[in-house]
Amino acid sequence: MTYSKPLPQADDLLMQPFWEHARAHRLSIQRCDDCGDGHFPPSPVCPHCLSEEQTWEPVSGRGTLLSWVTFHRAYWGGFIPDLPYQCCLVRLAEGPLIVANFAGDKPAHLAEGLPVRAVFHEMTEHFTLPKFIVE
Amino acid sequence: MAIVKSLSKVAAVIGIGESDYVGDHARVRAGERPHDSYGYAAIAFNKALKDAGIERDDIDGLIVGPTIAYERMGELLGINPTWGSQADAMLSVIEACMAIQTGMAEVVALVYGNDQRSAAIQYGGPEAMGGNMFLSYIYHAPWGFTSQGALYAMMFQRFMALTGCTEAQLGEVAVAQRLHASLNPHALMKKLITIEDYMASRYICEPLHLFDYCLINDGGVALIITSADYAKRNAKKKPVLIHGVGRYDANKGATSLEPRLLDFYRPAQERCAEQMFNMAGLGPKDIDAVQIYDSFSCHVPLALEGYGYCATGDVGRFMAEEGISLKGKLPVNTGGGHLSETYMQGWNHQVEAVRQVRGEGLGRQVENCRFVHYNSDVAGKAVSIIYGS
Ligand SMILES: [Zn+2]
Repeated sequence: MTYSKPLPQADDLLMQPFWEHARAHRLSIQRCDDCGDGHFPPSPVCPHCLSEEQTWEPVSGRGTLLSWVTFHRAYWGGFIPDLPYQCCLVRLAEGPLIVANFAGDKPAHLAEGLPVRAVFHEMTEHFTLPKFIVE
Repeated sequence: MAIVKSLSKVAAVIGIGESDYVGDHARVRAGERPHDSYGYAAIAFNKALKDAGIERDDIDGLIVGPTIAYERMGELLGINPTWGSQADAMLSVIEACMAIQTGMAEVVALVYGNDQRSAAIQYGGPEAMGGNMFLSYIYHAPWGFTSQGALYAMMFQRFMALTGCTEAQLGEVAVAQRLHASLNPHALMKKLITIEDYMASRYICEPLHLFDYCLINDGGVALIITSADYAKRNAKKKPVLIHGVGRYDANKGATSLEPRLLDFYRPAQERCAEQMFNMAGLGPKDIDAVQIYDSFSCHVPLALEGYGYCATGDVGRFMAEEGISLKGKLPVNTGGGHLSETYMQGWNHQVEAVRQVRGEGLGRQVENCRFVHYNSDVAGKAVSIIYGS
């Protein structure tokens, strides 16, 4: 069966390391070699000190829940079977924010500040998507 | 931060024009395409010119909205200006003031047209307009987080969690604006709704309901802005002066939604408010009505707190108990706004502000309306304008 949800942008070279780490079940962020600032999404220069030297770094996958929504309308055909589905916003323990989904069914209890942990779902042979479970 | 004072009362709006939102919407829904974006803009321009009581050849500055090509619009209107620009509603008003203050132009036409409904423009999903410019769509697409509404839903969910504001309190926005639209002959959605209707309406991206989302319709808007001096000498109607403007942008961390989700744009709005109120020599207590860019209803509570109309954390109670309708303490979006009047991406709010200051608000006129504040927080740009007599 063909995968009908949006895939990562193939021409977004900056993000390639993130998806490669994800295939190995590692969550990663970009870390500045000069000032140590950790950021996500990636940037061609460090938004903090403008350094051009940056490295992708695996992170713990742990974070806290900042917010969440439930889609009752799908904007991509591939999400119609999932309706209603959730997206969440997580602050990683290392600092940056990331939008993702909860793994599995909607958690029974949601609250701002709950601890969460990344898990990895293999969506296709080449594409693994990080999601979060409430701890 | 430099406190800019030099744009206060430099310029005035002397002409306003709009396309026939109601008639055109009926035609579009019947499958017709009455005009394209240029056509809507041209019709609005003609009305604004007539409203101002000046000739086309008096115009020496031209600003066109982001949905139309600058050169083509100038060609269609037969205008070779000494100065021109392309900008959204709020920035074009500020740019017009700057051009007038510096002498680059004296009589500036601002024109906007959008055939978004008949051309089936998408604001979410794979064909999302501007998606490649607002990266938050693209980065979050693999997780299905792909619409403008979702960004605001995520923000408002957190706002509720932190402040105790409720969905029913947010419903005050849609209910008040529908009341205003019912009194506005230009408005598309005139059927009154109650908080019960709002709560019973379906979710689109929960916690936001259908009534929290703006309309999608075709139309055009034009304004004629000129120097205060020229306005005094030539305008057919009482000029509406621009008393103050402000702007502060929150770009840092935008794609990961930090300015919205962590700060609710508050620092940007506070700095914008400081600049604008200082420039105008006014404060929130002097403002008789507020127009707020409302692609989604939740812009309203954030702005009411951010610009100092109520205490931080108190906006839910303020909206429900003190009131934001014509019957309440602070009338907001008196024409019905994007939710119920017309979705002209902020342009219709400028027209409504001018009408209220002129006293042309008909059944929705705010009594003794001297100052109207417009503000928007689109994509992290906090922009503000005070119109007054
Ligand atoms: Zn750095």
